[in-house]
Amino acid sequence: MTTTAVPAVGLGTPDDAAPKKVPTRREHWTPSALTAQILIYVLLLAVAVLYIFPFLIDVATSFKTEPDAAANPLSLVPQTWTTAAYQRLFFNSDFPIWFKNTAIVTVFVTLGRVFFDSLAGYALARLQFRGRNAVFAGLIAVMAVPNVVLLIPKFLVINQLSIYDTYAGMIVPLLADAAGVFIMKNFFESIPASIEEQARIDGAGSFRIFWSVVLPMARPALITIIILSFQGSWNELAHFIVSTQSPDLTTLTKGVAQLASGQLSQGTQYPLKLAAGAIMTIPVAIMFFIFQRRILNASQGAVKE
Amino acid sequence: MRFTKAGAVVLAAGLAVSLTACGSGFSSGGSTQDNKKPLSILIGSSGDAETASVKAEVAAWSKTSGIKATVTVASDLNQQLAQGFSAGKPADVFYLSTDQLAGYASNGSLYEYGDKLTNKSDFYPSLVKSFTYDNKLVCAPKDFSTLQLIINTELWKQAGLTDSDIPTTWDQLTDVAKKLTTGSQTGLVIGGEYARIGAFMTQAGGNLMNADSTKATADSDANVKALDYVKQNLAAGDFKFAADVGAGWGGEAFGKQLGAMTIEGNWITGSQTADYPSVKYKVVPLPKGPAGAGTLQFTNCWGIAADSANKAGALSLVQQLTTKSDQLAFAKAFGVMPSIQSAASEWKKEFPALVPFLDAAAYAKGVPTAKGSADVVTDFNSQVAKLSTGDPKTILSSTQTNLDALLK
Amino acid sequence: MTATTARLPRRRGASIRRGQAVSGWLFTAPVLILLGLFLLIPVLMAAWVSVSDWTGRGSPLSPDVHFIGAANYGQVLWAGGLSERDFGTALKNNFWYVILVVPIQTIVALALALAVNRRMLRGRGFFRTAYYFPSVTSSVAITVLWLFLFSTTGAVNAVIAWFGVKGPNWFNEPAGIFHFGAVNGPVALESNTLLGVSWWDWLGGPSVAMTAFIILAVFTTGGTFMLLFLAALQNISADVEEAAMVDGANAAQRFFRVTLPQLRPTLFTVITLGLIGCWQVFDQIYTGTRGNPSKTTLTPAYLSYTAAFNNQQWGQGAAIAFILFVIIIIFTLIQRWVLSEKAVSKRRMGWITRAERSSTAQSPKATGHVAIVGASRNGSGSPEEDDS
Repeated sequence: MTTTAVPAVGLGTPDDAAPKKVPTRREHWTPSALTAQILIYVLLLAVAVLYIFPFLIDVATSFKTEPDAAANPLSLVPQTWTTAAYQRLFFNSDFPIWFKNTAIVTVFVTLGRVFFDSLAGYALARLQFRGRNAVFAGLIAVMAVPNVVLLIPKFLVINQLSIYDTYAGMIVPLLADAAGVFIMKNFFESIPASIEEQARIDGAGSFRIFWSVVLPMARPALITIIILSFQGSWNELAHFIVSTQSPDLTTLTKGVAQLASGQLSQGTQYPLKLAAGAIMTIPVAIMFFIFQRRILNASQGAVKE
Repeated sequence: MRFTKAGAVVLAAGLAVSLTACGSGFSSGGSTQDNKKPLSILIGSSGDAETASVKAEVAAWSKTSGIKATVTVASDLNQQLAQGFSAGKPADVFYLSTDQLAGYASNGSLYEYGDKLTNKSDFYPSLVKSFTYDNKLVCAPKDFSTLQLIINTELWKQAGLTDSDIPTTWDQLTDVAKKLTTGSQTGLVIGGEYARIGAFMTQAGGNLMNADSTKATADSDANVKALDYVKQNLAAGDFKFAADVGAGWGGEAFGKQLGAMTIEGNWITGSQTADYPSVKYKVVPLPKGPAGAGTLQFTNCWGIAADSANKAGALSLVQQLTTKSDQLAFAKAFGVMPSIQSAASEWKKEFPALVPFLDAAAYAKGVPTAKGSADVVTDFNSQVAKLSTGDPKTILSSTQTNLDALLK
Repeated sequence: MTATTARLPRRRGASIRRGQAVSGWLFTAPVLILLGLFLLIPVLMAAWVSVSDWTGRGSPLSPDVHFIGAANYGQVLWAGGLSERDFGTALKNNFWYVILVVPIQTIVALALALAVNRRMLRGRGFFRTAYYFPSVTSSVAITVLWLFLFSTTGAVNAVIAWFGVKGPNWFNEPAGIFHFGAVNGPVALESNTLLGVSWWDWLGGPSVAMTAFIILAVFTTGGTFMLLFLAALQNISADVEEAAMVDGANAAQRFFRVTLPQLRPTLFTVITLGLIGCWQVFDQIYTGTRGNPSKTTLTPAYLSYTAAFNNQQWGQGAAIAFILFVIIIIFTLIQRWVLSEKAVSKRRMGWITRAERSSTAQSPKATGHVAIVGASRNGSGSPEEDDS
């Protein structure tokens, strides 16, 4: 059994399959080409600044006092450094609870999605059973239903199931997503069937093959699912609005959204709000920087740097 | 997208299972009563002071009654109430605003306990009216607030004005506003919404609806007169809306000295002390309009859910929370005015600077309470925000149409 | 995507196949049950609520709740009351949002992708990271940041002030940007209405407040869609372009005749996802303006939510959601028709066939996959596009 020979095509690393682009000729800079090149860099840099600067402002402002924030909105250096916003968030508000809830939900949702999506994806890619095409068509149809249509009815069903205002109500509805199944199905289809056949001839059952043969090979796809689930559930808002009411179950998104619309505070209080926004961005940002090669290369592996 | 038969069958089966298995989710109304059952109280708090004092009074009641009670602060009261009712597990006792009353009373969500209150006759009649649905007092008024004119005394002096200049008519208000308008500072900065501008309507003898909220009176000449007056002053630059000077509400504009006067309620004292302690101010009665003195009043009541499992306990709690001693404790903590007349004299003694607010109880008018009126007011607000360029008659007649539609 | 169905050799025994049938259903059961419970049943229930008089107390399935036909839809679409006007306003706001965001974000994403894709670019990783980062952060956090940046004394107005211009009070300015400060329009436009909103208002464009949200949307989604385009660009073989170059096509011709046509599947995906996403703006409105100022940032999604959860108009709320669903489908169909495959010119075909042999691009799968990445926030997408 050779697992190393599996080309990870289809799941974002087409570089192994696609012909590599080798810069064939060294370009010679004519003056006009050079100007164009410089112009491009200037433009790209300007846009990059435009994209990064707001986040720097966010962090800088969270350490400012409120009058300072209003007077020097562009400055990246607070006139007087203060951690008042962070102290208020961590020691004098429900922020830690929100953070805890979001973390709990995200962990469970991510684990659940990885397992259920790959299980179903494998079945749809490999197992022969009547109704498979119907199941697949159903999944595609389900993906077309916009989230917002579900806002009200999701509440109704969660309520009918008596899991309203519980962790179960927050987690279970998010556990499966059609898109994840789709990704996994695509991936499993790209793995040669011969490996499983060998295992099957050796008498292994379907779950056994899935669990100990196929799944370990699916690392790139699983990472994709992990990234998507983590990001998706960490940033989810609407579902938590309709599935809970207790302050003990408030998540970061819901809490900060309500903070922003002034329901918990009077006045503008930008340093406080921006501090909350900055902290809630950190875990996703960490996730992003850990996996950024994967996220970005997932879509364009052919470029080698 | 093709759905084959097999798929449809599976999904239908899933549907059937989930619905039969979970039919127990709702058992509305007929909950068994247990007068020892713990109570949950949902409040919309203005800040830490309010939260702490409500918690303290509730805890005191728990001690004497032996019934456990937990106070929860809602982050979005209306939404949480709605979800609670629909989920069949609302809080037992909660703050309820006048504009939400009719909706919940009409679908049977509320326990109508008004007649069981021992101090029913002590509540201000206008407050009782605000919480009456189908000729029955639904819930006990919690407290109330009124609008008056707030003046920045230092800016007042700087403009060369004295106590004798305090406006008692609309013309005088225009005059002083003009004198107080300099540079980035505007004479009068108010919230651009019915809940402030409505005061002018009452001074002209109008309001959006009659006192019982059974008739729409939005397009009356009095209201047109009021909006015209505000519009003229907006055009002259002597009045401005808070949003237009970059403030969230009148109190913020006042505290940041963007406006020398504002129209706000008694809640402004708390935020001024906390956020802008250096700004000196004075509360005076709003000027009289063509039809005399007028202002708006706002109030909440203590709602009790029809689905509560301990209605007797809830009623006893509310009875306690509306006593003179509790209401005065709340007043001291976060500046509200007691809803009972017997507490008035002590309150005035306690807060001499705020007396104009309480005096307004005699003539203040309530806001519309008809079912759906909150939406109409929101719509009115969205049009009033553009009053400086809008046409008062058009605004009021569209509001009239919308209110009429509610009463059909 | 079902071409792989019959891959297994026939000699496989019947027992194995039966085993596969059982495990096939077992493996897919959790997902099917979850999606059935939290997607299919909710939709059916909402469909019922939208034609019922349920007021939000007790079960919508209880016998006290009655069928009232299309009354809720009527309230929203033709009754002439406040509900209709609110819905019309929300539709108008969101319409402009879609009309502006979708093309702009598509162009921005394509431009970024083309720039980053340049062969000799140094620091590509840095640029890609910078452009993509806003996409991973939560809409709530970004909206909070936006509220600050676009406040009266915020960073944006500070920058505008460099040019000696006083910036608007962004999130409090209800004026439509295409009214250019005009207050009242021609009577003909003012007096005729569609869904309770005058033509003058329909034509006024998004309010200044909504414009700030439009900029926000372009800012956050540009990066996601840039990745989609980058993936597609990688899969376009350079050979086609070189073939065109040999034929003497200039840069613009090469872009419009060679590159762009080959990007069509991606373009289709990007626009579809854009349309679906943009018609459901909710998070930003809930966090930021709640429909203010003057209802100019009200969107159907937010209206549906407030109708149900704040005003106990559950039937109307559900009706709005379904109407929105239909609108999204219609828009998707329209753009599918507009972008439908048109005959490829012979010359271009020549370039492509000449290049074809050397390029075995995996583009269907690659783009399909990233399409899902982009769609994950909406939980929807249409990754099954033909990549012909």
